[in-house]
Amino acid sequence: MELWQIILAALLKIGFIIAVVVGAFAPVLVWAERRQSAMMQDRVGPHRAALTLPGWAVDLVDSTVRPLFAGAVLCGLVAALAGFGIFWEFVFSTEADSTFMGVSHEGLYILGAVATAVAGALFVGHKVHAGLVDAGGKVRIIGLLHPLADALKMIWKEDFVPPKADKFLHAIAPIITVIPAVLTFAVIPFSDTLFLDYLTDVVPRDGVIQGATVPMQVANLNVGILFIFAVAGTGVIGAAVGGYASDNKFSLLGGIRAASQMVSYEVALGLTLVPCFMIYDTLRLEEMVMWQHTHSFVPGFAGTWGIFLPPLTIGFILYLTAAIAETKRVPFDLPEGESELVGGYLTEYSGMKFGMFFTGEFVEVVALAAIAAIIFFGGWDVPFLFRSGFDLPGEWAFTVPLTDWVIADQILLQHWFVVVIQLVAFLGKIIALIFFQLTLRWSLPRFRYDQVMALCWKGLLPLSLVLILITGIGILVLNQ
Amino acid sequence: MSTSNFVLFLVSGGLAIVGAIGTVASRKPLRAAVALLLHIIALAALYLTLHAELLAALQLLVYAGAIVVLFVFVIMLIGPAAEVPSNPRGKITRLLSLVVGGSVMATVSFALVGHTAPRLPMLRNEAGENIFGTVEGMGVAIYQQALVPFELVSAALLVAIIGAIAIARSRTPQEQAVVVERQAERIELAAARDAELAQATAKVGS
Amino acid sequence: MFAEYLPVFLLLLVAVGVAIFMFTMASLAGPKNMTPEKAIPYEAGSNTTGARHIRLSIKFYLTAILFVVFDIEAVFLYPWAAMFRRLGWQGLIEMVLFLAVLGVTLVYAWRKGALEWEK
Repeated sequence: MELWQIILAALLKIGFIIAVVVGAFAPVLVWAERRQSAMMQDRVGPHRAALTLPGWAVDLVDSTVRPLFAGAVLCGLVAALAGFGIFWEFVFSTEADSTFMGVSHEGLYILGAVATAVAGALFVGHKVHAGLVDAGGKVRIIGLLHPLADALKMIWKEDFVPPKADKFLHAIAPIITVIPAVLTFAVIPFSDTLFLDYLTDVVPRDGVIQGATVPMQVANLNVGILFIFAVAGTGVIGAAVGGYASDNKFSLLGGIRAASQMVSYEVALGLTLVPCFMIYDTLRLEEMVMWQHTHSFVPGFAGTWGIFLPPLTIGFILYLTAAIAETKRVPFDLPEGESELVGGYLTEYSGMKFGMFFTGEFVEVVALAAIAAIIFFGGWDVPFLFRSGFDLPGEWAFTVPLTDWVIADQILLQHWFVVVIQLVAFLGKIIALIFFQLTLRWSLPRFRYDQVMALCWKGLLPLSLVLILITGIGILVLNQ
Repeated sequence: MSTSNFVLFLVSGGLAIVGAIGTVASRKPLRAAVALLLHIIALAALYLTLHAELLAALQLLVYAGAIVVLFVFVIMLIGPAAEVPSNPRGKITRLLSLVVGGSVMATVSFALVGHTAPRLPMLRNEAGENIFGTVEGMGVAIYQQALVPFELVSAALLVAIIGAIAIARSRTPQEQAVVVERQAERIELAAARDAELAQATAKVGS
Repeated sequence: MFAEYLPVFLLLLVAVGVAIFMFTMASLAGPKNMTPEKAIPYEAGSNTTGARHIRLSIKFYLTAILFVVFDIEAVFLYPWAAMFRRLGWQGLIEMVLFLAVLGVTLVYAWRKGALEWEK
C-alpha cells in the first residue's frame, strides 16, 4: 500500500477508536455506574440534565401524540389482517397461486412483517412523545445527557493547583495517566480482516483471498499484547507523581498505595494470561482470535472460545480479579478510599485535570475488558459465523408454508455485513464484561489494604504460576 | 538507512538527549525521574530503528514500567530530604567536569567517524523469514542458545530479593527479643559500672 | 519497520493531542480564585497538623523490589509462552528450573515477612 493510504486507514481507525471508547463508552459507563448506585440507594440518580424545548415545539409534539397512537393501532390492525390471511389461506386454499383479498402469499408475509414493525415504531414514538410532553418539554434521554453535563461542568470548574505544590509535576501527572491508557488500543483487533475487493460480495469461506486487505486494528505488531503491557505499565507513574506533587499527606499516601497496588497486580495480570499465550501459541491478539475462530472441538461450531478450555476457565477468574484490582475499582479502591484517605492521590485535583485521571481510569477499564473479550470470549468471533456468512449446525432446509422461500443452514452474507456483525459482537462482549464489573461494584464491600496485597502476592501469583505449569504439561501430553 | 528510519532516528535521538539532560540537570529528584521516563521511551523508539522490536517493548516494560517506578517509590519514601538544596560544587569543578565530559564525547565521536556498524547475520526461521528482533528470534536465542545465562538470571533475581529484604525488613519477634535482652544487659552493665564508680568516689571522698 | 509502527506513532500523537486539549481546557476555561482557605491542604475539613511530608512504610520499597523481580520473570515468560510448542519438553524443563528458583524467592520473601502488610 502507498504511504498515504496507510496513514488514511490508520487515521480512520484511530478516529473510530477515540469516538467509540472516549466518546461513547466512557460517558455511557459513567451513566450506568451512577444509575446502578442510585438504584441501590433508592435515589433518582443522574436524571437532572435536560434540554428544554421551546413552548411551540412542545405544542407541536403534543399534537402528534394522538395521530401516532392512531397510526400504531391502524398498523396493528393491518398486521392482524395479514396474519389472519395467512391462516385462512393455509387452512382453506387449494391452489398454489391463490390470493387473499388480492394479495399474494409472499405479499401477505411482507405486509405482516412491515405493518408489525411500523406499529411498534409508532407506539414507541407515541410513548416517547407523551413522556416528553409530561416532562414539560425537557429532553432527558433516560439521564444519558448527565455525563455530557458533567463533562461540561468539569471544563468550567476552577483549575486548582495547590500553591506549595510542584507545579510542573502536578500538571504532568494527569497527562502521564491519559496517554498510555489511550495507546493500549493500538493492537486490539476490532473485527476480521477487511477484503477491499469483496466489500459487496460474498468472500469464499476457505482458501487464500487475493487483493487489498485492511487489518481491523490500528497496528499489526509482532510483539502483540506485550505492547499493551509495556505501555500500560507507564501509567502507574502518573498516580505516584500526582500523589507526591500535591503537597498533601493523604495524596502522598493514596499515590503510593495506588502505585504499589497497580504494580503488584500488573505482574499478576501478565502471569494469568501466560497460559493463554501457551495454548494459542502466539502473542498477537489477532492470531489469538483467529485460533479461537478456527479451532473447533465441537462439531458444527465455527470455533471454540478460550473460556471453554479448562485451564483458561480458571485463568479467566484470576484475570478478572487482577483486572478489577489493576483499575483500582471497588472492591479494590483502596487508593481512593474516601473513608481513609479523603480522595487519595486525586484529592488536590479539580476540574478537567480530575477528569483526565477519571478518563484514564475508564479507558483502562474498557481496554482490560477488551483484552478479556479477545482472549477468553473469542473477540469478534460469533458462533456459526464464518467469513462467508452463517453456517448453522446440521444440514437442513425449511420452506416457508405457501411460498417457495427457503431458510437453510447456510446463509450467505455480503462481506461488509459480516464485518459489521463481528464488530457489533465484539463491542457487545466488551459492554457485557464491563456491566459484570459494575454489578460486582455494588455487591461487594471494600477489602482491607493488607488483604488486597496478600490476595495478589499470596494468591494470584502462586496460583497463576501453578496454572502455567499445569497448562504446559497438559499441552505436551495431549500433543503426543 | 531509509529516509523514514532516519527521521525516526533524529526525532527519538533528540528526545533521548533532551531527556538525559533533564535527568542530570533537574534539582528535584522526581522531575529527574520524569525526564528519565522520557529518555527511556525515546531509547525504545531508537531500538525500533535497529529492528529490535521485542527489545523496544521490553525496554518500555522493564525500564519505564518497573525501574522508573522503583525510582519513584524510593523518592517518595525519602521525601523532601532527597532534594538537593543548592549546587555544592564550585565553578572550577563544574568547568573541569565540562571539559572532561566534552573531551570523552569528542574522542568517542572522532573514533566513530567513517565507521559503520558491521551487518548482523540474518536470523531466519524454517520458512525463510527474517526473524531478527522478533519474539520468535529472541525466543530461539534465549531458550535454545543461551540456556545457562537464562537460568542464572533467576539466581541473580533471588540474590536481589535477599539483599532488599536484608535492607528493608523489620526485626522478627525473636530478633527483637534478642535486641531487647542485649539492651537490658547493657543497661545493667552500665548501672553496675555506675554503682562501682559511685563506690570508688565515695571511698576516695572518705 | 517504520511503516508497521507508523500507526502507533499516529495514535501516540492523537493521544498526546487529546491529553493536551483536555489540559488546556482545564487551565483556560476555569475561573481562578485562590483564597487562603483554599491553599490549605485539604483533609476533609480538619486542620492539617505536623510535617507536610509523612514518613512512608519501608514495606512499599519491598513491594517495588518484588515487583521489579517478578516483572523481569514475567518478561522471560512471555516469549517462552509464545514459543512453547516449538520448544517442547526441553522448554518446559528449562522454565520449571527457572520458576523453581523464583518460587524459592517468593517463599523466602514470604517467610521473612516481606508479604505482610498488616502493620
